[in-house]
Amino acid sequence: MDDLTALRELRADAPEPDAGRLAAARARLVTGTDRAANRRGFLSLGRPMVLAGAFGLVAALVLTLVQIDRTGGIGDTSPSKAARYASASEVFAQAALVAEARSTDASPRPDQWQYRKSLTRQPDEGSGAGDTMEEWIRYDGKQTAGYDDGRLRIRDVPPDPGDDDLSPQRYAGKLRELPTDPDKLLAHVRGDGHWIDLPVGEGATGAREDPDARAFRVISVYLEQQAIMPPKLEAAMYRALGKIPGVGVEVGVEDAAGRKGLGIFREAGGLDTRRYLILEPETFRYLGTRVLWLRDEMSGSDLMFRAGSVYSSAELASGIVEKAGQRR
Amino acid sequence: MIADAQRAETSDRTDDAELIRRSRDEPGVFAALFDRHAPELHRYVTRRLGDSMADDIVADTFLAAFGKRGRYDATRPDARPWLYGIAANLIGKHRRTEVRSYRALARTGVDEVAESYADRVDAEVTASAAHRELASALATLSGGDRDVLLLIAWADLSYDEVAHALGIPVGTVRSRLHRARKKTRAALGGADPTAIQEEADRG
Repeated sequence: MDDLTALRELRADAPEPDAGRLAAARARLVTGTDRAANRRGFLSLGRPMVLAGAFGLVAALVLTLVQIDRTGGIGDTSPSKAARYASASEVFAQAALVAEARSTDASPRPDQWQYRKSLTRQPDEGSGAGDTMEEWIRYDGKQTAGYDDGRLRIRDVPPDPGDDDLSPQRYAGKLRELPTDPDKLLAHVRGDGHWIDLPVGEGATGAREDPDARAFRVISVYLEQQAIMPPKLEAAMYRALGKIPGVGVEVGVEDAAGRKGLGIFREAGGLDTRRYLILEPETFRYLGTRVLWLRDEMSGSDLMFRAGSVYSSAELASGIVEKAGQRR
Repeated sequence: MIADAQRAETSDRTDDAELIRRSRDEPGVFAALFDRHAPELHRYVTRRLGDSMADDIVADTFLAAFGKRGRYDATRPDARPWLYGIAANLIGKHRRTEVRSYRALARTGVDEVAESYADRVDAEVTASAAHRELASALATLSGGDRDVLLLIAWADLSYDEVAHALGIPVGTVRSRLHRARKKTRAALGGADPTAIQEEADRG
């Protein structure tokens, strides 16, 4: 027998795994792609369209619902006729006050772990249960951990200077450098080289990104780091969001866990999707994200996502723990 | 009818390069690449290292690929060679484990790797004489030669695809394959007078 033929028969009965067997590996990938989507997904290559002036400034407590005639600007790409909007300036003023009243958490040690439990729903999953993920990352970012068939697996993270993602510790360092004056903060995030030049290999997208789109995207990324967020800075972020053209607040936006919150979004021409950062309406804690497709998204002749498709995520738990595998 | 048939044909499949390109702005699209290639890649890793390693290596392969997607050569519509190349590096870190299993198979006829995925835990998988001989040859190959041989025999890659996967010239693929097959042929044929010389050459 030919040696190659014999070799092809060796372990030829090795099975191809089914979707269930691959679920854990797929979930690890999706966690990575979701994180990247959250960091990069607010990318807009379209022209900014100023809508902020369209929001009526109605003085009232906490939330005032605003009726907006949307037929002029967006036409049939409007997310939903039933969508209700709040006065962005009121929401951000209130959010800033609530944030300023938070107490500052102590700084974690580099060998402590940040725990996060999240839920995601992909657009093609319909009303399924979604994917729940639990993950741990060392505060210094050198290791990650997770349960795999009930067994805790700790993995080393090789340094990748070309990546735009940061360890919790480096996020904390970056946050400490940021100005707490809303105008200075906005100028900083509009032009921060870290979010322009990285990740390496993504082409010239970073430089082409509209500064307002970048400001909205970067502040959204920062607001997800609530475990290590200085209260004064968080307040400044809400005030800065209120100054970005096109940023609005929709009421009753659902996260992947079905919780309804305030959906902060940025409207601009040419966007295929509307992305919401969802905040709890009273505490202004970060609940999750929601991406709504405003029109069919094609790839060549393939329909990738139908208009009205939704991707969503929800933060179910997070905190600083002593060891990988601990939840509190 | 004709229009429907045409649409079915053209919308059948977006090529991998296009998926990867799209995933730069829409990272979630990368999961489609996983659905397309993970089963086959998982089987290949299982065949080399056994059932218990495959999940981790497949997950690590796709995460690493995702991180490098900005550097993907867009002229290559099929991403399999690229993925196999990333997996080859990860498999290479478990070289001792892999070689140990070939040695055990050659010596005892018991294939730990085949047992790792066999349905019945108590079923001892006993190899044929030819497979024991092949295993003894696989154990003596250098890592690079073994990668070339098994990417061709088990992953069905072409010479050109193997070259691309491992980042080596096609000429090197040919010479590595030649060297590897000398050993597998010799193992099957009983003895190869050049084997000792080869062993010394390899360094």
